Amino acid sequence: MSAVQVSTTVNGDAIDFVCQPTETLLDVLRNRLGLIGSKEGCGTGDCGACSVTVDGQLVCSCLVLGAEAEGRKIGTVEGLADGDKLHPLQKQFIDNAALQCGVCTPGFLVAAKALLDRNPNPTEQEIRYALAGNLCRCTGYDKIVRAVNAAARDVRKQQARKKR
Amino acid sequence: MTNIGSDLPRADGWDKVAGKSQYTVDYSESGMLHGCVLRSPVVCGRIVRVDVEAARSMPGVRAVVTATNVGNGRAGMLVRDQTLFADREIRHHGEAIAAVAADTLAQARAARDAIELEAESLPALTTMAQALASDAPLVHPDWESYALNPMAAELRRQGNVAGELIADPDGVDEAFERAHLVVEDEFCVDRQYQAYLEPMSAVARFTDGRCIVRTGSQFPYNIREELAAYLDVRLSDVRVIGQTVGGGFGAKLGCGTEGYAAVLSRAVGGRSVRVVKTRDEDIVTAPVRENAELRIRTALDAEGNMTAREFSCDMDCGAYGLETPTFPSILFHFAAGIYRIGPVRVHARAVYTNTPPTGAFRGVNGPAVYFAVERHMDNIARRLNEDPMAFRARHMLRDGDTLLNGQALADAHIAREACEAVQKSLPAVGARQSGDRLRGVGSATGFWVTNPLPGSVTITVGEDGRLHVLTGANDNGSGAVAMGLTQIVAEAMGVSTGEVIVGLPDTDLSGYDSGSQGSRTTHIVGKAALIAIDDLKTRIFDVARQMLPPGANELELVGGMVRAVGIGDAQVPLAAVFQMANFSNVSLSGSGTYATTPPAFTPGCAVGLTMPSLLTPTYHAHRAEVEVDSVTGNVRLLRYVVAQEVGRAINPDGIMGQIQGGIAQGIGFTLTENLRLVDGRYLERSLEAYRLPLAQDLPRVEVVLLEHPDSEGPFGAKGVAEPPLVFAPAAIANAVSDAVGKPFYKLPITPEDVLFALDT
Repeated sequence: MSAVQVSTTVNGDAIDFVCQPTETLLDVLRNRLGLIGSKEGCGTGDCGACSVTVDGQLVCSCLVLGAEAEGRKIGTVEGLADGDKLHPLQKQFIDNAALQCGVCTPGFLVAAKALLDRNPNPTEQEIRYALAGNLCRCTGYDKIVRAVNAAARDVRKQQARKKR
Repeated sequence: MTNIGSDLPRADGWDKVAGKSQYTVDYSESGMLHGCVLRSPVVCGRIVRVDVEAARSMPGVRAVVTATNVGNGRAGMLVRDQTLFADREIRHHGEAIAAVAADTLAQARAARDAIELEAESLPALTTMAQALASDAPLVHPDWESYALNPMAAELRRQGNVAGELIADPDGVDEAFERAHLVVEDEFCVDRQYQAYLEPMSAVARFTDGRCIVRTGSQFPYNIREELAAYLDVRLSDVRVIGQTVGGGFGAKLGCGTEGYAAVLSRAVGGRSVRVVKTRDEDIVTAPVRENAELRIRTALDAEGNMTAREFSCDMDCGAYGLETPTFPSILFHFAAGIYRIGPVRVHARAVYTNTPPTGAFRGVNGPAVYFAVERHMDNIARRLNEDPMAFRARHMLRDGDTLLNGQALADAHIAREACEAVQKSLPAVGARQSGDRLRGVGSATGFWVTNPLPGSVTITVGEDGRLHVLTGANDNGSGAVAMGLTQIVAEAMGVSTGEVIVGLPDTDLSGYDSGSQGSRTTHIVGKAALIAIDDLKTRIFDVARQMLPPGANELELVGGMVRAVGIGDAQVPLAAVFQMANFSNVSLSGSGTYATTPPAFTPGCAVGLTMPSLLTPTYHAHRAEVEVDSVTGNVRLLRYVVAQEVGRAINPDGIMGQIQGGIAQGIGFTLTENLRLVDGRYLERSLEAYRLPLAQDLPRVEVVLLEHPDSEGPFGAKGVAEPPLVFAPAAIANAVSDAVGKPFYKLPITPEDVLFALDT
C-alpha cells in the first residue's frame, strides 16, 4: 500500500501530512501531528475519548481515516484555548472540578463545544444526552454537566458582548 | 485557615483540560519500539509447541520472547504464583504466551499473529463448584512451593483454596438451637471491570544495566517489587517512574504491561519498548472485581433481637491470586455489618479457577459483603414486620462496642448520625405505584476503613522559596495529591497552593509509598507531610533566627515569610532563608514517614486472618429512591442521598467528586455492568457490550458531609474514596426490592431479572 498525501486544516492551521490509507485520523493526530490530547480509550467508537470535529460535525476520530481529512476542517481539544486563554468550557471544567484522571476530558470538551455551537442554551437533559457518547469512569458526570451548563452561560455572555 | 475545607482547583487541571497531560500512552523515548503480547485462546491446556521462527523474520521485528527465553521469575501481590508467560500450563483465557517488539505497532501485531501456538485443551475448572469438588484437578499443582510475601504470612491455603478464613466463636450453635426465628439468605454477585479510560500501558528501557520503567501505576513501589521478581534482579536494579494515571480503581496496583515492556527491552539490548493493551485485551486481563456467592443465616430471639449468625462466602480468584486471597479477611470484619449480633461464625474462601484472575477494585469485597449484609437486614425486618431502619437502629453498635476481631469501635454513634441525615433528606415512604411505574426506597449503612500502610514525604525549600514535595504517592485521578496533599502542605507551610510543587513518584528518589489504594493517600501521605513539615520548620526557624532581630524566639510561617511573633513586623522571605541556609551547611529539607498504629484486637478471633484490625473507621448511610418500569424492567434512580463521615473535608468539591463517581460505579455494578463468564471466557469484550453508566443514566447525588476530625489524620482527614461504591449496591438493591415487592438476591439486577420477578 502506498502512502497518501493529505492537505487539511487542523485547529485553523493548514497542514499537509502523509499517512497510510488504513491509518485512522486519531493515529495521524497523535503519532504524526503530535496532538496527543485526543485519546484512544477503545478504538471502536464506544468511549468518545477521541472526539474531534470534522467540518463542525462531532466524530470519533478512531472511526475516521486520516485520508478522509482531505480538504476538511478538523477541530481538536488543542484548538479550544486561545494561547494561554482557556475556552469557557475548559475554565469551567477546572472551576467545577469536572475532571479527575482526565483521559475522557478532551473528548467531553470537544463534544460539549459541538453542543454549544449548535445550541447555546441547552437544558440539563439536553446536555446529558449530548454527552451520552462520552464515557467517564471517575466523576459520575454530575460536575461535567454543571461545568457545561456554567460554560454555556459564559459563552452566551461573550456573544452578547460581541454583538454590542 | 484558607487551604483546608476550600474548593481549590486541582494542581494538574490546566494541562488536563488543555489536552497536554502526558499519560503513559502519550510518552515516548528516542528509538522506542512497540510491543504487543500473544494471549492464549485456550481456557485451560498444555502448550505443545510455540514456533516463533516465522515471526522473528518478519519486517521490523526486533525480538520475540516466550517463557523459554525470559526465565521463570514468579511474582504476586500475596502469593508468588504468577509468571510473565505461560510455561507449559495455560491456566486461563488470555494468559500471555509470547511478546513481540518491532519498529512499529503494526509490524509487532503482524508478527504476533504469525506465531504458531499449538496447545492441547484440557477440561477447565470454570466455576468455583468445579474447583472445590473433592476430585478436582489442581489449578496450581505446585502451590505449596510458591513463595509468600510478608502480607501473606497468616494465609491459609490448600489446593484450589488460595485463601481461607475460619472464625468459630463459642455459642453459635446454642443460639441457633434456642432461636425463635432463623432467617437465611443466599446472594451472588458477578464480576465488575474497572474500566479506567486509559488502557494499561508502560514504557521500559535498560540503562547501565538497570531497568527503568515509566508507568501510570497506582503503586510504583509494588511494580518495582514485582518486576524485580519477574526479572530475577535486585529490587534496586529496577526504577519505576510514575506518569499521570489515566484511572485505575485498583486495577493498576500490580503489573499489567510493565513486565512485557521490560523483558522485551532486555531482549533488544535495552532500547525503549512501549506496550499498550487494546481495550479487548484490557478487559480480558484486568484484575476485575471477584464474583462471589454468599450465604447468611441469622438467629433471632422472641423479641426480634439478633443472637447469632453464620456467614459463608466463596469468591473466585481466577487462575492467579493477586489480592483476592486476602478478601476473606475483609469479609470477616464486615460480616456482622455495624450491628450487635452475638457470636458470628464465618467461613470464607478465595478459590482458584481456570478463569481470568480477579483482584482489587475500589472497596475490595465491600460492595459484595455489604450487599449481602444489608439486603439480609431488610429481609429480616420484613419477616418481623418492622421498619428496616428502626430494626437497624435497634441493633446498631454503640460507642465502645467491639467488632468481631475484639477491636473496640470508639465512635459508632456516627453511623446513627448518618442514618438520621439521610432520613431527613429523603424520608422513606414505602413502595408505591403509579400506572406502569413502581417506586421504592432502600437504604444501607455501615462503616468502612482507611488503609493504614506506610507512606513518606520529603519537602525541600527551593532557591526561590517554593516548596518541592517528593513522594511515592501517585494521584490516580482522585485529587488525593493534586488537591488533598497539596492543600495540606500549603496550609501547614503558610503558603498558597501555587507555591507547592508535587513531583511524580520515582522509586530512585521519592521514598516508599504503599500506593493509591484503600482510600489512604490523603490520610497517610498527608500525615507524613505534616511530620516532614515539623522537621523542616525546625530547620527553617533555626536559620531564620540568625536573620531576625534578637529576641525573635517564637516564629511562624505566613504567606511565604518567616515572621517573628510579637516583634513588630520583623520577617524574612523563605527564599532568603534558603540562601542563608545554603551557606550555613543546613539542608532545608524535611522528611516524614507515617503508618497508622494498629489498635488492640483479639488474637485467635479467626484463623487465616491476614489483616487483623480495622483502622481509621468512617461511617456511612446511603438511601436510594428508584422507579421501576414494569413494562421494560428498567430501573431509574430518582434520588440518591448520601451521608458520609470524612473526618475533615480538605477539599469538599474533591470529596463530592469521589462520592458521585463512586456511586456511579455502584449503580453500574448493581444495574448495568455485566461481565459474564461463559465456559471461562468473557462475553462482554468491548465498552459497547460492557455497559457503563452514561450521563443520562445518573441522578444528581445529594451529599451530607459529616465531619468528626480524626486525632491522627492531617487536619483530621480520613479516607473518603471507596465507601461511596461500597454501600451503593445494597441501597439500590433494597430500593428495587421495595419497589417490586420481591427480594433480589443477585447482582447485577438486569431488566430481565426485574421482569422475571414481576411475572412470578
